[in-house]
Amino acid sequence: MMRLLASALAIAVCLVFAGALAAAVWQIAGTPAPVSLPGLLADNLAASGVEHPVTAVLLNFRSYDTLLEIGVLVIAGIAGISMARTTSLEDPELRTSDSLLYALQRWFVPLMLVLAGYLLWAGSDRPGGAFQAGAVLAASGVMMRLGGIPMPFLRPGLLLRLGLALGFTVFLLVAVASAAGGEAFLAYPKAFTKPLILAIETVLTFSIAMVLLALFVSAPVNQALEPEEGDPG
Amino acid sequence: MTPWLMAGLLFTPLAWAVLTLLVNFNRGRLISWLGILVQVVVSLGLWAAVAGDGGFHYQLGGWPAPLGIELRVDGLAVTFVLLTALVAAACGWHASIYLDPAKAWHRYFWPLFWFLWAGLNGVWLGGDLFNLYVGLELISLSAVGLVALGGESAALRAAIRYLMAALLGSLAYLLGVALIYGQFGSLSIAGVSRLLGEAGTAPGQTLPLLLMLFGLTLKTALFPMHGWLPPAHGIARSPVSALLSALVVKASFYIAARIWLDLGGYLGSYGLAQLIGGLGAIAVIWGSWRALWQAKLKQVVAYSSVAQIGYLFLLFPLTWGVAEPVSLQAQQGITLQIISHALAKAAMFLAAGNLIMSVGSNRVDALAGVSRFLPFSLFSFGLAGVSLMGLPPSGGFAAKWLLLQSSLASGQWWWLPVLLAGGLLSAAYVFRVYRASFMERAGTDRFFHPSRSLEVIPMILALLSLGLGLVAGPVLSVMVLPFGEGGGQ
Repeated sequence: MMRLLASALAIAVCLVFAGALAAAVWQIAGTPAPVSLPGLLADNLAASGVEHPVTAVLLNFRSYDTLLEIGVLVIAGIAGISMARTTSLEDPELRTSDSLLYALQRWFVPLMLVLAGYLLWAGSDRPGGAFQAGAVLAASGVMMRLGGIPMPFLRPGLLLRLGLALGFTVFLLVAVASAAGGEAFLAYPKAFTKPLILAIETVLTFSIAMVLLALFVSAPVNQALEPEEGDPG
Repeated sequence: MTPWLMAGLLFTPLAWAVLTLLVNFNRGRLISWLGILVQVVVSLGLWAAVAGDGGFHYQLGGWPAPLGIELRVDGLAVTFVLLTALVAAACGWHASIYLDPAKAWHRYFWPLFWFLWAGLNGVWLGGDLFNLYVGLELISLSAVGLVALGGESAALRAAIRYLMAALLGSLAYLLGVALIYGQFGSLSIAGVSRLLGEAGTAPGQTLPLLLMLFGLTLKTALFPMHGWLPPAHGIARSPVSALLSALVVKASFYIAARIWLDLGGYLGSYGLAQLIGGLGAIAVIWGSWRALWQAKLKQVVAYSSVAQIGYLFLLFPLTWGVAEPVSLQAQQGITLQIISHALAKAAMFLAAGNLIMSVGSNRVDALAGVSRFLPFSLFSFGLAGVSLMGLPPSGGFAAKWLLLQSSLASGQWWWLPVLLAGGLLSAAYVFRVYRASFMERAGTDRFFHPSRSLEVIPMILALLSLGLGLVAGPVLSVMVLPFGEGGGQ
């Protein structure tokens, strides 16, 4: 009875919330916004160095947000590998040796790498970019890992940490270098805007894939390692 | 000069994070000592610049708002930047001695610590609703990572609970931001506030404000949404607990306060203000009461945070629909409360860490006899307690005095019993710890002696918190500085 009441209450709360949200959205949809950001964006797109508005917002107009978002991804990766059980990567139980899977991989992995490269390049003038390409790259890594292909660089070590930090570091260096060159922070020099954005996107793709993959392989966390302060170990 | 100070605050912590990620704990410690020095100098520099010339707006990437992101560098923001520098420097210094370099996972403390610092600076200076969301995410995720450091199962459980609460809060806030953007087409707080003030704009809706405030109060652990805080703050390593209680919960409160002060006048209501204030008042009483009955020392301190955070929410009723000077007095009181609680609570957690390290147990009743052995740490704990109780001349006293005056001036006398009862209950739980430490126990005492610097750090913080009441005037005069004449481009 209590459970029934509780779920009825939860459903009622959800319905009221959804109704209020729908009413708010309906009212917003009926009145035009006083500031037209898409219009402003279209006016400044030529100065941004890329043709696609989403990429322009992510890597030029609001690049500080993107820099911090990449930071968030790196933090997630760090938190994940800080609890990784080092031996799990060599755990024989987690290895598969299925010849069918192996044969499929030989077809799929190169295809997915090409797709990731395409998505990265497409970001400049149509939907795509570093996040999408990184996700595809990570997915192919996950498939390789499930298929039992050894990837020693994923063992917690300097290589893994370098991979995690690479994209973020390059982005940060560009931000600071643009200031040293006399422009404002995160303002790209006019002549190099496109190559710089492309370079950043490329290393970002790599690092995003590393973060996602690191989170996947560090999934089996270790047993109690560190007792609470003051608890006898 | 100023652009370099800004970069020093926003970007160098990120650089320290990357550098410390690549090296082991001991090298990371060296880099972090250098980093802490640089950050404190830069924060002092920006504080002095704003104290001298007034605040200014700073456009990132050279793009003006609403197209780009604009930072708001005013007196209040730099006050918090400086507070963060002080407290984080103390916690980093303490952690560099307290944490065991032999444990491989402690190397990840440094990058998370620096990301946290970068996120905090970003939030204090942020003037853009979405940028504040990203800053909050940076803070929450590194805080969760710090709680879970080492991956022990109880810590993981607390960290996951914290993560869930933080994510729900972030999503609610983000939904509110999306609605605001949909209605006004701008993400800049100042821009939205200006639009709301203009005649001819459709009146704003209350739902976005409600969603944002719900998300932010959940992340600040306002009663009854405080359940995630005591386990997370209690189980983390002591320097981490200090960072979390002193700074992390203040970040979400700061955003809520800024939104309330800029938009609340248009979108808020008397009932909403009183509701939030009432929940804060219950938190003061309930948190203190629970602190009194905790068996573990750090849980006492963690529940005390729930109570002290409650005071902050008196800002909402005391600034809604009252005269300008009364509202200003309440804002000053809350600012002082944030500063003094940050200093006192960091001191308390660091001292508690020393005490736990010394007696080898985290229980309050295990402290028997420690008063003769570790008087210095116990004294810091008590001095910090004086500020929490609100006795003169501490910062806590000055804060409560201002809140009391603004309650009376605005005719909201019902907050007075809360201020009084909160102080009395704080005294009760601080004295309970003292009582346990003065007990004598049969048998031989086995105490471990922590290094001298570990004891000095909480003492410095406790003294700062105690002395804050004496320098409240100059501190508050910088806080209320308006934007400079030429600076507000």
